Amino acid sequence: MQGGSSGIGYGLKYQARCISDVKADTDHTSFITGTLSLREENEVHLIRLSSGGTELICEGLFSHPNEIWDLASCPFDQRIFSTVFSTGESYGAAIWQIPELYGQLNSPQLERIASLDAHVGKINRVLWWPSGRHDKLISIDDENLFLWTLDCSKKAAQVQSKQSSGMLHYLSGGAWDPHDINAVATTCESSVQFWDLRTMKKTNAIEHAHIHNANYDMKKNHILVTAEDESGIHIWDTRKPKSPIQELPGHTHWTWAVTCNPEYDGLILSAGTDSTVNLWMAPTSIEDEAISESIAESPAQQADPLLNSYSDYEDSVYGLAWSSREPWIFASLSYDGRVVVESIKPFLSRK
Amino acid sequence: METDDVPLDDKAKRMRDLLSSFYAPDPSSTDNAPSNPGTLDAINTTSFDADQYMNLLIQKSNLEALLQRHVEMAAEIKNIDTDLQMLVYENYNKFISATDAIKRMKTNIVGMEANMEQLLDKIMSVQSKSDGVNTSLFEKRERVEKLHRTRNLLRKVQFIYDLPTRLEKCIEAEAYVDAVKFYTGAMPIFKAYGDSSFQDCKQASEEAIAVIVKNLQGKLFSDSESIQARAEAAVLLKQLDFPVDSLQVKLLEKLEQSLGDLQLKTNDIENASMESNDPKQGKVSDSVHITAHEGSVRGFAEAISAYRVIFPESEEQLIKLVQDVVVKHFETTEQYVKGRISSANLMCVLRTIWTDVLLMDEVLSEAVLPVFSLEAAQIALKQHVASTFNYLLQDISDALLRVTVSSKEAAEEHSLQVALEASKKAVLQGSMDVLLDFRQLLDDDLQLLVQLRDFIIDWVQEGFQDFFRALYDRFLLLSGRNSSSRQDQGLTGAHGEKVLAGLVLVLAQLSVFIEQTVIPRITEEIAASFSGGGARGYENGPAFVPGVICRIFRSAGERLLHHYINMRTQKVSTLLRKRFTTPNWVKHKEPREVHMFVDLFLQELKESASEVKQILPQGLARKHWRSDSNGSTASSRSNQLRDDKMTRSNTQRARSQLLETHLAKLFKQKVEIFTKVEYTQESVVTTTVKLCLKSLQEFVRLQTFNRSGFQQIQLDIQFLRTPLKETVEDEAAVDFLLDEVIVAASERCLDPIPLEPPILDRLIQAKLAKWKEQNPISP
Repeated sequence: MQGGSSGIGYGLKYQARCISDVKADTDHTSFITGTLSLREENEVHLIRLSSGGTELICEGLFSHPNEIWDLASCPFDQRIFSTVFSTGESYGAAIWQIPELYGQLNSPQLERIASLDAHVGKINRVLWWPSGRHDKLISIDDENLFLWTLDCSKKAAQVQSKQSSGMLHYLSGGAWDPHDINAVATTCESSVQFWDLRTMKKTNAIEHAHIHNANYDMKKNHILVTAEDESGIHIWDTRKPKSPIQELPGHTHWTWAVTCNPEYDGLILSAGTDSTVNLWMAPTSIEDEAISESIAESPAQQADPLLNSYSDYEDSVYGLAWSSREPWIFASLSYDGRVVVESIKPFLSRK
Repeated sequence: METDDVPLDDKAKRMRDLLSSFYAPDPSSTDNAPSNPGTLDAINTTSFDADQYMNLLIQKSNLEALLQRHVEMAAEIKNIDTDLQMLVYENYNKFISATDAIKRMKTNIVGMEANMEQLLDKIMSVQSKSDGVNTSLFEKRERVEKLHRTRNLLRKVQFIYDLPTRLEKCIEAEAYVDAVKFYTGAMPIFKAYGDSSFQDCKQASEEAIAVIVKNLQGKLFSDSESIQARAEAAVLLKQLDFPVDSLQVKLLEKLEQSLGDLQLKTNDIENASMESNDPKQGKVSDSVHITAHEGSVRGFAEAISAYRVIFPESEEQLIKLVQDVVVKHFETTEQYVKGRISSANLMCVLRTIWTDVLLMDEVLSEAVLPVFSLEAAQIALKQHVASTFNYLLQDISDALLRVTVSSKEAAEEHSLQVALEASKKAVLQGSMDVLLDFRQLLDDDLQLLVQLRDFIIDWVQEGFQDFFRALYDRFLLLSGRNSSSRQDQGLTGAHGEKVLAGLVLVLAQLSVFIEQTVIPRITEEIAASFSGGGARGYENGPAFVPGVICRIFRSAGERLLHHYINMRTQKVSTLLRKRFTTPNWVKHKEPREVHMFVDLFLQELKESASEVKQILPQGLARKHWRSDSNGSTASSRSNQLRDDKMTRSNTQRARSQLLETHLAKLFKQKVEIFTKVEYTQESVVTTTVKLCLKSLQEFVRLQTFNRSGFQQIQLDIQFLRTPLKETVEDEAAVDFLLDEVIVAASERCLDPIPLEPPILDRLIQAKLAKWKEQNPISP
């Protein structure tokens, strides 16, 4: 099953959807992932890339009570992460702490710091502010947006404010603006909505159908990348919500996840249900905008924005994460539970 | 012998030198530049030092040489002595001859004085006599002169008194030249004495002159007079101090008026040539108009030449006037070109203009009208080419849109096919017509066009290049607009949406047609009759690059095809999303029948298939295709596996589901779900089905089912199997995908116990019966 891939593989026992970069771990390139199995014992894996970069080592293996639909690592404490889980009938979300390991692998009890149990509907995402230490958390369920205050030492989370998304808007996910601690984008069936967390009011919206996933550019303010069912990937300037800055073809089937490189400008990674991960190079700066527009008029000369397509997957790819420590490395997770870590170094030089 | 000659010459030369040095005013000037006294040659110079010479000689020479030198020197001294004697003698000689000459001069002068005195006396007497004659005749001459003056004066007075009658006579005889001459002659007198003695006379003659002026003016303006006469009249008027400038302006105005007439006639010609599209009736009137127009232009040219003769200084104004005419001509032409005209009509107009220009050029070559009109014609032609392509583009999009509209009204079965055919025809025929049209421009031998030939070729090539780019943009616009309106229409305008989706398909096929048929034809045609050009410069290459256009349309075709498939799958996606997000799957009730979304799904596919059938060609024979492809082994294997799995699945699927699927995947080759789309009915339908099933699988994966929910999915999928396989090319992939859906459902099921096969069978049979009942014709 290894195939001729350049990537480093790691197998989970069960199916899985989500993987997250452990951003707070500054000494190692680590990822955390959790399985999605309805009837089996689910697990959380803490994976570390060996120092040579040739092997993925399981640094910790913890049992998790339910199947994990979403998982996010705390950006300022490597031992803390959040999960959204389902028992099959109901949903829940919690903040967990990895116990001190001291070398031994088999102490697999996660410590639950807090339960985000104010939700009633189907919880979709828990968001941390991506740019640093912030004691707030956002959780998104089908209809509501919650802002939590998390106190790790007291092991408690309290609802600070709550806002309903309004009728007929079933929220599916969201992204927290890394440049603005008070701005959050949520995705729903027909649009992307922008919220101001101070007032919990909607500030703006991009009307666009079937958005699966949205991601802010870490380097540039106001740039948001979205992934859709059929129409691929769009890059938006949030100040101009009428039409996208750029459009990328996306995937043969749905484009499920999209993420911007934390370091290199315009590098975008997308994962799709056609079992591929695509690496894109999109000129997003303002001066490039004009060029790309003029290029669009003469598509004959248009440079292919697709740098590479990683197609060595057996199933749909749902999980995708850049390493923030080594930004040329990303981890992808296909539904069959395979984590593949790839390096994009060969494509960087080509820029 | 030589040695004898040389000293002789030397001797004579030295003598001459000595003589001349003697007589020369400044003896030092003859001196040679002082030479080095250290040599033996220095003997002849002024700076000669005998002692030094001696020393040098003794030092340098042996005895024999010294002796020889001594002999030589003695000879030389002797020579010099004789020379000296001769010089003295000759000098003396010359002195004697000079004295002789002076003596002779003195004797000659002695007798002259007496003769001179005699001459003086005679002259004196002649003078006194002539003085006497002069004084005696003086008085008479004085009187004669006085009489003569009086006579002249009287004659002048007579002339002035006669002037009015004389002028009358001149007017009668139309001898205006004489009249003017007389009048101008009398002018100074009138000016001096007009107010006193000659008052009556002056008035009478002024009246006469007024008549003359009037007549002259009339002559100037009457076109019937010869040019010469009119020119004369102008000159005369000018002599009479008549304000000629105002006359000039007037005449110019008249010319301008006639210019207005010309303009009208041009319009007539255009109308005529428009009419001449109706072959017979138009032609007659056309030619009539042309001759009429030519006549008036000729008249205009004559008027101009006359004017030029009359007012030679007015060239600039005339040039401006004539250029105005040409500019106006081309303005109307440009207006005309904006409309929809054939090149033949344009040529007709151009030819008329060109003849006009030539006519006018004959009379006024300074206006460089040919060059001027060449430039204007260049612009007009360029516009013509551009507008022709514009209209072609318009035609094509009209052809596309018209069919869209008409099929909206009456949803015929073959409307899309009609649309495709019509637009194909519009593209191919249209561009061929355009080429043919431009060929006429090239074939014509009108000088104007011949000069612009290279430009025309380039414009046509460029025109095609731009045209196809514009067409491509238009295609994208048409399909893009659909994609935006699709969201507006949503589910409400299902019918309109169908037409638009069809249009995208038509566009896709049209792109292929353009790439494969139209471009090669046009390339051929251009190579045949539009080669050359090169006004652009060869380094740029030819303006029309079929390779680029082909590439554009190939990619456009693919994009549009994908767009079509996307539009189709998107509709199904919406359907599926509704189906899977609405019910609570965890509390699903036991399946009683196949869910109705299956019907909707199949109906969508049928619609799509009917569209596809109209537009796209059938692929290769199916069996052939399958056995040929690489995927054959994989498909057979996965088929077999599926059968295995199905038999087993009924008994023990519930356990170790995950392990089984993983193992199955290990042994199964990866079935290529997402293959390249071909321009065939089967390929497009298959791709649509595959994408829809993949979506179905993804939707299932997002839900959690109870046992009944799972069984419902199982039932629906089982039912889908047969009709899908009938429509689809790649059975293996579809089978695989259907299995995947069931697997996904079982994975997401809390209690995955499948339906017993008999129940499954019975439910499917029931559905089939119901289905056949509803639409008995369909397979």
